[in-house]
Amino acid sequence: MNRLGAPGAPCAQEAVEGYLAEVTARLPGPARARSDIVAELRSGLLDATDAHCCAGLPAAEAVHAAIGEFGDPAEIADGFRTEIAASLARRAAVAVLVTGPLVGVLWIVTAVASHIAPHLQWADLSLGLRVGIALVVIAAGVTACGAIFGIAATGRLTRWLPARPRLAPAAAAVAGFGAVGADALGLALLAVQLVTAAGRLSPGLAAMAAAASIGRVAFAGRAARRCLAIRSSLT
Amino acid sequence: MRAETLKGHLDGILLAVLEPGPRHGYAIMEALRDRSAGQVDLPTGTIYPALHRLERAGLVQASWSVVGGRRRRVYELTPAGRRSLDTERGAWRDFSAAVTALLQPVPLAVNPR
Repeated sequence: MNRLGAPGAPCAQEAVEGYLAEVTARLPGPARARSDIVAELRSGLLDATDAHCCAGLPAAEAVHAAIGEFGDPAEIADGFRTEIAASLARRAAVAVLVTGPLVGVLWIVTAVASHIAPHLQWADLSLGLRVGIALVVIAAGVTACGAIFGIAATGRLTRWLPARPRLAPAAAAVAGFGAVGADALGLALLAVQLVTAAGRLSPGLAAMAAAASIGRVAFAGRAARRCLAIRSSLT
Repeated sequence: MRAETLKGHLDGILLAVLEPGPRHGYAIMEALRDRSAGQVDLPTGTIYPALHRLERAGLVQASWSVVGGRRRRVYELTPAGRRSLDTERGAWRDFSAAVTALLQPVPLAVNPR
């Protein structure tokens, strides 16, 4: 059998890679999300080429028959775009949902250790701090709702949900921007405390909480923008 | 048979092809052709996104393995996929029975005068 990839079939190899490059160029998202798809398509194309070789075609013709059989690169990329969007949205939603409570606990420990709320009584806090904390809680609630919806719309529940591919990336983007809002508010509250009550702050814990929130603002913001970008590429 | 004709049934067809055992993408395509006696001949590339969608829905599971010296992504039905296939079969039997009954030629009614 004149297998593709064997010496003497470099043109066939080039044709396969050229076809895969056409599909890849139309796929959104990071390279990592695309690499498994391309590897799977490549192995399928090689299988199809082998099948045509077995049927008696020479290697070069077999590979062109295989490519013709696979169909329009744009059509394949369209099909995968929804899957990549769902995968990105799900990863963003899970990351935001998991890191939220961790960062939140860090802030609560910082607040308690800094004696900002001596007896953990709401009434002990200044009006500004109470408004700020209420806004953080609202932003965290929006984040959690967006993330839970994003996870539900991209997993096993999709069996029973109507196919609305743009919803999941939108929900994940809401979760991401919600997380940015919650953490940015936390950092703003810290900045106010640094100005008004720096002496009471526990510096080590405050630095850890601030670093965690800065990291979360960066990754959640980037994830939300990616989700919006991929959402706009879906029809 | 074109993809549009199969719209709404492709998931069930893919699940049925995987019922006898695990298969990789191209083997699924060959099974589709064989079992339909060549009637179903979709662009091969279009079944891969459909398989990924079924995997996301938990109806199939996929794993990379080396088959015949080549690294391939192999799909197999999950228990939820088997249940879904049973449901699809039942729904198709009801649908096809109803449409068959409706498409039956009916003797013309005699007009009493």
